[in-house]
Amino acid sequence: MATAKTAAPRGEARGASARPRGGARGVLGRIADRYLLIVYTLLAVIYLLLPVFVIILFSFNNPPGRSNFLWSGFTLKYWLNPFGVSGLPEAVALSLEIAFLSTLISTILGTLVAIALERYRFRGRAPINALIFLPMATPEIIMGASLLTLFVAIGAAPFFPLNFVTILIAHVMFNISYVVVTVRARLAGFPRHLEEAAADLYANEWETFRRVTFPLILPGVVAGALLAFSLSIDDFVITNFSAGKTQTFPMFIYAKAKIGIPVQVNVIGTIIFLVAVGAVFVTTLASRRSNKR
Amino acid sequence: MGTLLKRHRWIAPVALLSPGVLWLLVFYLYPAVQMLQSSFWSGSLETGFTFSFDNYTNYTKALASYAPMYGRSIMYAGAATVLTFLIAYPLAYTIAFRGGRFKNVLLFLVVAPFFTSFLLRTISWTILLSDDSPILRVIHMLPGVSPEFRLLATPIAVISGITYAFLPFMTLPVYVAVEKIDFRLVEAARDLYAGPWRPGGAIVGFVVGGGLATVLGVAFEWDFLITGIVGGIVGAGVGWFFISESFVRVTFPLSVPGVFAGSLLTFIPAIGDYINAELLGNPDTTMIGNVIQNKFLTQNDYPAASALSFMLMAGVLVVVAIYARILGTEELSASAGRI
Amino acid sequence: MTRNDDTTANLISRRHVLAGGALAGVAAFLAACGGTKPLATPALTTAPPTSAPTTGPSASTAATATATASAVPAATPSAELNWANWTYYMDVDPKDANKHPTLDKFTAKYGTKVNYSEVINDNEEFFGTIQPALQGGADTGWDIITMTDWMAAKLIRLGWVEQLNVANMPNFTANLLDTYKGVNWDPTGDHHAPWQSGMTGLGFDPAKTGQIDSLQALFTADPRWTGKVDMLSEMRDAIGLTMLKLGIDTANPTRDGCDKAVAELMKAKNAKIVRAFKGNAYAEDLKAGNVVLTMAWSGDMVQVLTDKPGIKFVIAKEGGMLWTDNNLIPKGAVHKGTAEMLIDFYYQPAIAAEVEAYVNYLCPCKGAAEVLKATNPDVAKNPLIFPPADILARLHIFGGLSEADETYFNQQFATVTGKG
Repeated sequence: MATAKTAAPRGEARGASARPRGGARGVLGRIADRYLLIVYTLLAVIYLLLPVFVIILFSFNNPPGRSNFLWSGFTLKYWLNPFGVSGLPEAVALSLEIAFLSTLISTILGTLVAIALERYRFRGRAPINALIFLPMATPEIIMGASLLTLFVAIGAAPFFPLNFVTILIAHVMFNISYVVVTVRARLAGFPRHLEEAAADLYANEWETFRRVTFPLILPGVVAGALLAFSLSIDDFVITNFSAGKTQTFPMFIYAKAKIGIPVQVNVIGTIIFLVAVGAVFVTTLASRRSNKR
Repeated sequence: MGTLLKRHRWIAPVALLSPGVLWLLVFYLYPAVQMLQSSFWSGSLETGFTFSFDNYTNYTKALASYAPMYGRSIMYAGAATVLTFLIAYPLAYTIAFRGGRFKNVLLFLVVAPFFTSFLLRTISWTILLSDDSPILRVIHMLPGVSPEFRLLATPIAVISGITYAFLPFMTLPVYVAVEKIDFRLVEAARDLYAGPWRPGGAIVGFVVGGGLATVLGVAFEWDFLITGIVGGIVGAGVGWFFISESFVRVTFPLSVPGVFAGSLLTFIPAIGDYINAELLGNPDTTMIGNVIQNKFLTQNDYPAASALSFMLMAGVLVVVAIYARILGTEELSASAGRI
Repeated sequence: MTRNDDTTANLISRRHVLAGGALAGVAAFLAACGGTKPLATPALTTAPPTSAPTTGPSASTAATATATASAVPAATPSAELNWANWTYYMDVDPKDANKHPTLDKFTAKYGTKVNYSEVINDNEEFFGTIQPALQGGADTGWDIITMTDWMAAKLIRLGWVEQLNVANMPNFTANLLDTYKGVNWDPTGDHHAPWQSGMTGLGFDPAKTGQIDSLQALFTADPRWTGKVDMLSEMRDAIGLTMLKLGIDTANPTRDGCDKAVAELMKAKNAKIVRAFKGNAYAEDLKAGNVVLTMAWSGDMVQVLTDKPGIKFVIAKEGGMLWTDNNLIPKGAVHKGTAEMLIDFYYQPAIAAEVEAYVNYLCPCKGAAEVLKATNPDVAKNPLIFPPADILARLHIFGGLSEADETYFNQQFATVTGKG
């Protein structure tokens, strides 16, 4: 496993000098390999970040009215008071809590299902496969409405309010599939002999999982968690059905969009983006320092 | 414990599966079955709904009336899936092989935009691409572009909106699959088959480029034969020069599970999407998701909305089954197990 | 033209007749008791609610208002109240956006904590979230919901709205403007209380289109605006304006009228005059210059004008639509009595004026305009908020529809928007 992870960059460094040896490759091919890919990737990153730049830019906008759509001058006042809209802080807090919790739960449940589906042969895999794909294929409105009907039927209102718990249930439900599919993409085609060798060494399924299987699939698990998080923090339709009287961040934004989304929403969006990227950047730098030591 | 697990081989998979599967059974399947039942209803909110299998006509009616929207959904979702692949694959490949220490930072950089609100991102795009925006002014300066040309409220806008919205769903699985490839294998392959992949690259390029251009041609009511051929030729050129044999023989096959997962994660939700068509389209670009939305919310025709959804879901399952046969991970993991 | 004038006349006379029938008794009764005090002073903001008849027929609840001369009402308002409303529909303290001054005043007076949530962004979506509970006979969790008239009509038709105890609501009975009385979907007038109204008319950029005063423009191909026209995705606005253009009565909509309007819309769509059917997003199109002519809502246009002063909003000579968002108490609401107090509280002119100064829609409460003339003359003078009489005369409501007709109208309209 360790080799699989670290070999790539090192191998790449050697590869850069070794490549010209393959003389028969066309000049264009070499250019493609060296520069074109980088340029293309750069363009793709710019394309991905373009709307984020606009969001950040408009977090400094100073609109005369309630809508933040035309540029009308620079101000810092919304950055100095990012929660100065009624209902916004509660909505952001609720969305973050739900996103973290639902990501955690769905990543664990989804990873276990993925391991079972990839590592074991058993009857009933086909229907379970279908059960994984169906939620992704179900139009959100139908899924949200039928889930709400279930909540109401089991006595939502008098016994438990539609709120945090019901939103969480819904989010875990639609997240699981994405985690399963992503983790399976990592597991598929992985040589099992590593695990078999480990099983011989440790002779314990848990130890094998902890020391071999889990590190192997970790990038897949992280990727699945990222997808789950991005789905959860931005879901509107299904959440709207299961939220009752509570309001999540996306619900807040959709409601405001009727007249105009306040600039503070751009500020919060920017902060979430910067914190996510910044945290990973700092961790990377920190881990590099500790590696050096 | 080990021996216990070995004796009862069913314990491990059941233990792994049950929490997740139970969750889906209770909170997905049970409501979904109720919905299936409602697709055989007739009646209205005021008169109440009654169940009868005779109401299978909900299905036949739906298919007869909304075939164009189903067609458009397949076309748009398909085009968006190909586009996300074309954008995400090189991106994931570069991050995995050239990202070095900053792999994770780069990965977050391409996913973090999706932690902000969809609505904000879409509004940003409409600011960037509005009819009087600098980008459009540049396009209008190009020769042969009609002054009426616009991006918003067109099929291009809908397809691009879907493409953008689902990019992380392609990027992450592909990255996950590419990242595990041992780069030494790729190098060895380069030494073996050092060179571009001809004429295969040209053929693949022709099919992909031609397909995308044809979809655009149909969507814009241009002469789609001509756009298709032009697109195909451009694609073939790119494929002829830039697809190397080592990539086709080693890297790509090893990343197939990621491509398989990514294309499903993109295509399946995209086909039921309605919000991009709602915000970025026009009355001639509506997808089946918009019809379902309208039937359910506006007309309160719950039976029709359910029937339309079930046909969509059945179609998706069939597509997944066929796709899994062609590119499936089942065989792959089975063969990997044998190595 | 002439036909339109007839329609307007009919509409107004019909309203007057109905209003007389439904509410005359109550009004006379109140007048006799001297229920309402002179209205136009801002001082009323802090005054106790006007005293109600002491000998009402429903003794238990009427008692609520009896002792209000003192600061604390006699009956027991609940500890909390849950209100679902639309965004920017409640005044906000300019110094602290988390405070709603008028709600604070209500709390100060009655001790009730109002859980005021601006969660509604669409009538139909919100209906979807409360429908299962209402159908199952359960409490929705809301005590007051604010719904546009056609959705209010639908909820009332389905029997999912509580009847208001109007005897207990002296301000409401006295101060509701006559224009709002006697709608055909609530003939007794005691299931809904108008909260805010708006007009649907034309928004355009005169620099690009020149002056426009006729709905005809929406349906006429013209190089200045072909392909740069948005229409509203709200069925009653799009069909309504088209009916007005065709000279069809919108107060009593028929299937025949619907067919004609849909055919007209289809023609405009097929001629590529229409760019898209939009909800509030038309405002962005207008500001960005993507469209130069659009069907538009007055409340939005107040905002558009702040951003882009060159834009114009007109009620065309053929007329415009008048719609209203109403406070309703959903069936099974836990705090019905307190909800009535709150609805009534907002029919004090001073309170209504305070809301209006922030909200910028049309106010259904008598006397609010007079209060605002003193406190906020800019708002009082704004024709989009207090339209002059000649514009009011050109406004039409879209009448209530039976369920079957509503389905028919929606289906036909969906064929135009591409959703059906």
